[in-house]
Amino acid sequence: MSSSVKLERNALQPGAKTVEAAVSVAAATPVRRKTVLRMLTSDIGSCIALALVVLAILGAVLAPWLAPTDPFGNDLANTLKPPGEMGLLGTDGQGRDMITRLLYGLRTTLLMGSASVAFGCAIGGIIGFAAAYYPKLSGVLMRFMDVLLSFPAILFGLAIAAIFGPGLLAVIIALSIATVPLMARVVRGSALVVLQQGYIEAARSLGLSDLRIILRYVLPNCLSAIFVFVTLRFGQVILLGAALSFLGLGAQPPTAELGAMAADGRNFLFFAPHVSVLPSLVIFAVVLAFNVLGDSLRDALDPKLRK
Amino acid sequence: MLKHTLQRLLLVLPVMLGVLLIGFLLMQVVPTDPAQVRAGPTATQDVVEAIRQELGLNQPLWKQFAIYIGRLAQGDLGVSIINNVPVTQELGNTIGPTLELMFASLIWAIPLGMALGTVGAYYRGSLIDRAIMAFSVAGVSLPVFFLGLGLIWLFGFYYPILPFTGRTGPLWTWEGIQGVILPAITLGGVFVGPVARMTRTSVLDELGADHVRTARAKGLGESTVVLRHTLRNALVPVVTLIGLQIGFLLGGAVVTETVFSWPGIGRLAVGAILSSDLPMAQGTIIMLSLGFILVNLAVDVLYAVLDPRVRGT
Repeated sequence: MSSSVKLERNALQPGAKTVEAAVSVAAATPVRRKTVLRMLTSDIGSCIALALVVLAILGAVLAPWLAPTDPFGNDLANTLKPPGEMGLLGTDGQGRDMITRLLYGLRTTLLMGSASVAFGCAIGGIIGFAAAYYPKLSGVLMRFMDVLLSFPAILFGLAIAAIFGPGLLAVIIALSIATVPLMARVVRGSALVVLQQGYIEAARSLGLSDLRIILRYVLPNCLSAIFVFVTLRFGQVILLGAALSFLGLGAQPPTAELGAMAADGRNFLFFAPHVSVLPSLVIFAVVLAFNVLGDSLRDALDPKLRK
Repeated sequence: MLKHTLQRLLLVLPVMLGVLLIGFLLMQVVPTDPAQVRAGPTATQDVVEAIRQELGLNQPLWKQFAIYIGRLAQGDLGVSIINNVPVTQELGNTIGPTLELMFASLIWAIPLGMALGTVGAYYRGSLIDRAIMAFSVAGVSLPVFFLGLGLIWLFGFYYPILPFTGRTGPLWTWEGIQGVILPAITLGGVFVGPVARMTRTSVLDELGADHVRTARAKGLGESTVVLRHTLRNALVPVVTLIGLQIGFLLGGAVVTETVFSWPGIGRLAVGAILSSDLPMAQGTIIMLSLGFILVNLAVDVLYAVLDPRVRGT
């Protein structure tokens, strides 16, 4: 009990961000999967969110098979057709089918998001576990994390794009860096709670190696907190990545990316609003779904709310 | 109190030095020779060599860094490659409009967010609370550019009643206010949700506290209990959390400035990067980074002022 109080106080300290505050509650509580699933499916909102997320992932993965036309096939005779007139959702400024572009755009956007979250969480996770397990390292590592945390993601985006030049790679690097300190804090917070448990002491007294203890006993018991964080972070990363692409710092034409597509449609906003609106709506729906899902997961995993 | 501030200040210095070092190294990776650029394409080898001597480009790297810091301290951040305007001058021109936009956004977003959060916490679990929280989640999921483009379409095209390109005048004139309305709704719109959420959590914590029960037991009216005894305490963490969310606000500001062609520092930075104007890009990034470090420092100190429990640590 005392540990959870400590975590909550920590969430209000300067440097703590909202995601972390949200996640720290769900820290280090082993939960039966059945309970979580039942709680998720009992709420209509989370059901819809889950369905949307699955749908988005399927659409992105299967884009090459689902798309009715070639994503780069210009058709200058049929540009800016409104939805219904040419294809189901119309065409863009170069006559490309909007459904095809949206599917491929979603593919790029989700790929960018998963790469950033994967890299950021892998590095942040290692730092978090190291800081929790070796108190001597903790001061230096977490101080460095605080420094990273004090810069907003957009600034990393600008700086990396200035160094490497605009592109998908720059966005992925920037968003990975921005994810590292958040993940490190979440992992350290929940690992510290797990490390106080009796079974850790038992494992230590058996003479197991540090790596084995972390991988076999600490990591599995931190998974619920990590899972909530990853879900919520994924939504944020997609939103940030789309914004950077909208600015022209991310995916470059002719690559289809939702943020870049929305930027492209600005030129035709008044006579062909669908070119901007459709990709923006897709981003909104996907990010909303991830946020709702993350919130429900956190509620389901929160021992204080569970009966 | 003073010790806490000094401690924070000491921690900030190496970070600032790090930012400057990265900014300096950024200029080193560029393949072009700055002396050649400054001398122009027709300059003789002697002239280029003289400029190199003058700029200190044949000194060791650490000495160049020292020279660079010295020039920075005098406000010399170099000259734009594109239009030859000093970087500091452009920064001076754009920082005002950006602060103006942020101010115009926060002035309505923070009070609204706090009000919504308080109402939500007070009627916890009710339909109103659920509606406010749904609105808040939708707000943080909405792409800033979507809101901006939607407003431009609605109030610039469908009902053409408000200007939507650029800054139309200073904030204290009627034209200026008209021009800032749409950008301020856009930028503030994404900020209402997070503020409402933070306020709700904080007020909920506070509503369960002993002193609130005491206030009720004394027979005080509900409005006094909520406004005087709950909200005042609940706002301490909210104020600092808002300070920390300024980064989130900057991200929104860069996009908002681009959507509305607002002549701010975010748009300047993006434009410089897209046109490979490295001195300008470097200047804006250094400026924004230093601004951030200072904001964080201010929030840290403010937190200690507002919450005496932090001071000891």
